[in-house]
Amino acid sequence: MEIGFIKKLVNVIATNDNEQIASISDDELIRRYTETGDETSFDEIVNRYSDRIYGFALRITRNSSDAEEVFQEVFLTLTKKLGTFRGESKFSSWLYRVTVNASYMYLRSQKKHGNNISLENYSPYDEKGTLMGRIMYKDWSSRPDIIIFNKEALIIIEKAINELPESYRTVFHLRDIDGLSNEEVADILEVSIPAVKSRLHRARLFLRDKLSDYFHEWRR
Amino acid sequence: MFMCKDVVENIMSYIDCELDLQTLKELEKHTGDCPECMAFVSTYKRMLEITGKLKDKPFVTPEIRNRLRILLKSKVKPV
Repeated sequence: MEIGFIKKLVNVIATNDNEQIASISDDELIRRYTETGDETSFDEIVNRYSDRIYGFALRITRNSSDAEEVFQEVFLTLTKKLGTFRGESKFSSWLYRVTVNASYMYLRSQKKHGNNISLENYSPYDEKGTLMGRIMYKDWSSRPDIIIFNKEALIIIEKAINELPESYRTVFHLRDIDGLSNEEVADILEVSIPAVKSRLHRARLFLRDKLSDYFHEWRR
Repeated sequence: MFMCKDVVENIMSYIDCELDLQTLKELEKHTGDCPECMAFVSTYKRMLEITGKLKDKPFVTPEIRNRLRILLKSKVKPV
């Protein structure tokens, strides 16, 4: 009875601690870690950003073991360089930038080069600017959700995203998967806002086409 | 004259509700008259719904987290 009570009490305290730390701002966690070496604060930063950092590294490297190398490198870098974060941009943007740099450095060290072809001229219309005979015969928009959102469709779209040239893939991931603004993406990738919009536009056109091919083939 | 090409090139602003009124009217009129563009807009929206599902996908497994924890413990000296 007494042991049960103590266990409950410990759980309540732990829950309260978790709730409390979850409500602390990034800046405060950074301050606590850099000034006092508070490991709980660093753990909370890891908890908050692990998925985003690993997901972005995986998107750039397209390989899970490479992504894990980058993921580890980013958090190791963080233990050393968190004190250099000046708060001039959002912490998440700074962290994404660290991830981009770590990913490229890793890929260079492994002599792995992505395809960097341009999709600037990629478009579904013909030279006269019409879509005549190009879209409707593959229209899959009225298919039921159970078919549209099946596991295979998600695998196809993942594969199609990974076929995008690197500069389009990173923009697409940050904007449409991680949900960042054009401004944040431009800041992270150090490109202009029109460049972000243009790359996102071509990436989406490319992916719409890939899904159309998939659903068209699937019907046969 | 508003063409299919204009629908394609304005689709992002259309989805984000950033088109000026005149362009919006022309785009909707063209799309209403052009089944190819209608299909293009519908499939584009559906594609965004599918890619939106990727947001929910968890990336880091407990094993990856654990390996990170061990690495940090072995490499990081207390401040």
